[in-house]
Amino acid sequence: MESIERYVHAVTHLLPQSQREDIAKELRGLIEDMLDERVQDGNATKKDVEEVLLELGEPRKLANKYRGTNRYLIGPELFDHYIMVLKIVLIATSAVIGVSFIIEIIMDPPSILQAFISFIVSVVTGLPMAFAWTTFAFASLQFWGNKQLKVVDLQLNSDWKPSDLPPIPHPKGQVKKGEAITGIVFYIICITFFVFSSDYFGIWVFDDGKFKEVVHFFNEQYIGYCMLFIFLIFGFGIIKECLKLVHGRWTMQLVLFTAVVNIFSIIGLMIVIAEPLIWNPNFITQLVESGLLAVDSESFQTLSVIWEQATKWLLIIFLFTLIWDIIDGYIRVRKSK
Amino acid sequence: MSETNEHLDKLMQELRRGTLTIGVLSQLYEPQYGYSLVASLEEKDFQVEAGTLYPLLRRLEKQGLLVSEWDTNETRPRKYYLLSESGKEVFEQLVVEWKDMVNRLDNLLINKGGS
Repeated sequence: MESIERYVHAVTHLLPQSQREDIAKELRGLIEDMLDERVQDGNATKKDVEEVLLELGEPRKLANKYRGTNRYLIGPELFDHYIMVLKIVLIATSAVIGVSFIIEIIMDPPSILQAFISFIVSVVTGLPMAFAWTTFAFASLQFWGNKQLKVVDLQLNSDWKPSDLPPIPHPKGQVKKGEAITGIVFYIICITFFVFSSDYFGIWVFDDGKFKEVVHFFNEQYIGYCMLFIFLIFGFGIIKECLKLVHGRWTMQLVLFTAVVNIFSIIGLMIVIAEPLIWNPNFITQLVESGLLAVDSESFQTLSVIWEQATKWLLIIFLFTLIWDIIDGYIRVRKSK
Repeated sequence: MSETNEHLDKLMQELRRGTLTIGVLSQLYEPQYGYSLVASLEEKDFQVEAGTLYPLLRRLEKQGLLVSEWDTNETRPRKYYLLSESGKEVFEQLVVEWKDMVNRLDNLLINKGGS
């Protein structure tokens, strides 16, 4: 009767721990009852057992019937979101890997082979990692948030009214998915760039075609302070683009949110740029030291002026783009009505 | 031809699945264990596989329509199922709905063709 135990185990080990013992007991009873019916004298042969087990069918199928629901890592209610986020994450990761490769080649052309090898390594390890983490996040959401998801689903269904239907978006008011995804990828690249290559922000000095050093734009001591603002600004940018994707069209709320985010960004930028500590105070002197610039030359004068003006113009450009972003959204909402 | 049979098979499966619950509930005014229920349903010409019935009984118990009790006095322990109070209520409602449905469907079948 060993095969009976093996069958019972094959069924119950697929079921939740709490039900195993009870179901095993019941199954054993059932199999014995079925054997009794077949064999009157009470001596069941191996063949009889086999026939009974065949009648009960494949253990996996029986376990599925006991469970009542199909098992999945990421259910249908999350799948669309999962695919979208996965696309964004993979595109962003690829972009980051690609950009770092290009930077490495520019920095150090002779060691292109090494750069290429590390590029391949990044592709082979980085992309699966991005895939795995996204999947892991969604699978956890599915696993832990399953009950809440179902509740939300039911509520949505019961409260639905035809008046809840969103209007068909006007072509002008639609958010272009490509644009939003490009935006997210751009922000992610910027963040990676700032975090991992803040050393390279500046004017690159080449000596005989070979990279020598960088004259930094930023004051190295205060780059961490600067980083915080950059994180906040780009982080909000990513949230903004995600909201655009989720909404699918321009709405007043979206414009309002954009406005709030952008105004915060503007304030943050003003603090960063207006703060003289942020900028490398020795920028001009270092340029002179690197041999790119001769003191008292005409270009020295020009550059000093440019360097002084740069902060002001940078601020103005940023202000303009951020404000335009708000106005553009507003116009789109107006047009689509 | 075999394709028609396949479709028929699937449709019959769906039909049976729906009626199975009513059939099972109808037999549980008295306590029964799984296999005795298979036998008594079979006797009344209502075929059901043990592999389908056992999980169904558990599900109905979980939903509160059935109550169960282990009887360990016999030669082998058996789990007996019985209609709960709410189970009886649901079953009686189901019977009304079922008869209604049969009538309406009969009506359609008599007047087929839309005349």
